[in-house]
Amino acid sequence: MTVHNPIERRLRLAGVFVLLGLLVEVAALRWVQPVAFLVFAFVGIPIASLGIVIYLYSLVSLRR
Amino acid sequence: MISPQTLILVLFALSAGLILLLVLRPELTSNRNGKILAFVALFALPILCSFLGTSQQMERSKQTTFCLSCHIMEPYGRSLHVDDPHYIPAAHFQNHRIPTEEACYTCHEDYVLYGGIRAKWRGLHHVYVQYLGTPMNPIHLYVPYNNRECLHCHLGARSFEESPTHTALHDDLVSNQMSCLTSGCHDTVHNVAGLDKVKLWNPGGR
Repeated sequence: MTVHNPIERRLRLAGVFVLLGLLVEVAALRWVQPVAFLVFAFVGIPIASLGIVIYLYSLVSLRR
Repeated sequence: MISPQTLILVLFALSAGLILLLVLRPELTSNRNGKILAFVALFALPILCSFLGTSQQMERSKQTTFCLSCHIMEPYGRSLHVDDPHYIPAAHFQNHRIPTEEACYTCHEDYVLYGGIRAKWRGLHHVYVQYLGTPMNPIHLYVPYNNRECLHCHLGARSFEESPTHTALHDDLVSNQMSCLTSGCHDTVHNVAGLDKVKLWNPGGR
């Protein structure tokens, strides 16, 4: 389980964020309430987006 | 037939499963297939899931239960059950002249280009006021109710067109010069202040 490669570390970090974001999103889909909408839009999506950005950054940093 | 809800859940589960695989075994990405897997799991699927989820949330925000889940809207929900055909929202709701599961949205959407987006924007403002601001007391519309919303369904309908009053006032109604609601014709709307004094319709009661 130990990851030494920095790219793999970033991929793992990206995966954790995307997974967390998706879990928040799917949890918010269980309720039909304005709060659920807010949690989906302002918590779930930003966390998943952060993971996607980390993944994209890991691709860019791959060239070095 | 798979419902959209189930499809979204399947996509979320698939995405989560692939991400979990990559988190546990990131060395998989060392070859070409692994890189494609990472692209699908960490980019394509999450974006698709978020897009579908947003779409689902937007659809849900049209639901009557969504609007009525705020405490301040509770009397407006009750007004849909008033046992009096003069109450316009109640008559529409109880006789299914509007989809009962999207009752609020059907009458309070602007039937113009981008009206749906405007309604969503107003909804976000409602949410902001509900949680971070001070709601109006009593609440009221931001702008006077436009006849356009009534005529979206009623214009061209036999019951509307054959009414002598509607025929006589046709142009004024279409141009919104004379309000359907405040000109004295259909002026009993939600009337929440008087809800304690009226009988409510009980659909299950015999």
